[in-house]
Amino acid sequence: MTVRFKITRHLLEAIRHDLVRPHAFAHERVGFISAGLSSADDDLWILARAYRPVADDDYLRDPSVGAMMGPDAIRKALQWALSDGVAIFHVHTHGGRGRPGFSGIDVREQSKFVPSFFQITRKCPHGALVLSNNSAYGNIWLDGRKPGEPIGCFIEVGMPLHAWSGV
Amino acid sequence: MTRFDRQSFLGADSETTLHAATLGLVGLGGGGSHVVQQTGHLGVGGYVVVDPDHITDTNTNRLIGGRLADLETETTPAMAKVAIAERLIQGLQEKPRIITIRDSWHNATNELKRCDIIVGAVDSFIEREQLERFARRHLIPYIDIGMDVHELGNKKFLIAGQVILSMPGKPCLRCYGLITDERLTQEAERYGAAGSHPQVVWSNGVLASTAVGLVTQILTPWFDAPEFVYLDYDGNRGTLLPNDRMKFLRGTVCPHHPAEETGDPLFDVREFNKLLSNLELVTTEAPTTPVSKKWWARMFTRIINQWWRS
Repeated sequence: MTVRFKITRHLLEAIRHDLVRPHAFAHERVGFISAGLSSADDDLWILARAYRPVADDDYLRDPSVGAMMGPDAIRKALQWALSDGVAIFHVHTHGGRGRPGFSGIDVREQSKFVPSFFQITRKCPHGALVLSNNSAYGNIWLDGRKPGEPIGCFIEVGMPLHAWSGV
Repeated sequence: MTRFDRQSFLGADSETTLHAATLGLVGLGGGGSHVVQQTGHLGVGGYVVVDPDHITDTNTNRLIGGRLADLETETTPAMAKVAIAERLIQGLQEKPRIITIRDSWHNATNELKRCDIIVGAVDSFIEREQLERFARRHLIPYIDIGMDVHELGNKKFLIAGQVILSMPGKPCLRCYGLITDERLTQEAERYGAAGSHPQVVWSNGVLASTAVGLVTQILTPWFDAPEFVYLDYDGNRGTLLPNDRMKFLRGTVCPHHPAEETGDPLFDVREFNKLLSNLELVTTEAPTTPVSKKWWARMFTRIINQWWRS
């Protein structure tokens, strides 16, 4: 099985631009990407549609982490998944260049909130991404009961087409 | 020095990038066959070539790679256009990855999803619209080429055509005015009554060459090219010029293919997981392919094998 994440260059640039905006107290910003899905045999395509940043008021003060989402942030993302029937991917950036990776805190928090999306939309997979300034890494959950697994390939659709391995 | 040395200005990694790319080619007639030949020369490594037809006598004025010996005889059937394309690529590439589908592209969607770019050289507006919609749904850049010969009267004719790059999110064939409801209606009314369209090899060549240039731009750009392109071909004047709409539509987001339409609306991950489980079951049941040995078991086997060989 190969999982490919495709996103237009325009959308990816907009997300990167948004995630580096300063926040009143959080050290970093986070957001959510909605995506359509398609498959062929055992290959899966995640096709990014839109991005919504977590609202300024939906961050919690927690100096131990870069950014901590409050319950409203999760509720709004769940609502998005429910109303549009889409896959939802949490996203944040570590900046820099080259393939980024999740921190231990990222992994811990994702394992808490990503499975909750399966309570809302069971027909879609969900996941999380971390960006750098020229790459990305991510995990996808195909089932709310099993751990996430790495997204195999990323494709930035634009001029030029830019693809890189996620594993 | 490699055989691609003369195109090294495309970038240090261009050879690898082009070889790794997979191109979908729908329609392998006068236009598509030129694209096959040129991308073969260029070094594109992967192909999904789709066309339901075989070569006929009236194709031989323009079908690149087609030979008179490929025509139907009393003892042999006519060669399929996909087989001609495959032969052409294999003559130009050492290890090409070719999937040939002698069918309508509607029955090749699984293979086309895997393509980085789709080039459409199809005959009708409805096919153009549907193919572009499929490409947009899967965030695949779509390049459309087409030409026609129009009668001007007094035995005078105009050769005209277009090359369009339809990039996801950017203006589409409808935005450009190539696809209109009126044209689709007219075409539907003519369905089944249309005779053969006049086609000539040199015009197809101009349009296909330009399309191959766009393919190259997308994969290994050599300058900052625009992300959407509409070029008008005037075969009488010998010009290929940007359509005015390119200027007017700059900065606009396509309203005809909204982002909400990407993906398969019927996709259900539970069905996908069932498919994966079934595949896993087949793999684990096969006695000759032990794919999931533990690392220490693999290491132990390797050590024993090395000891045995020594």
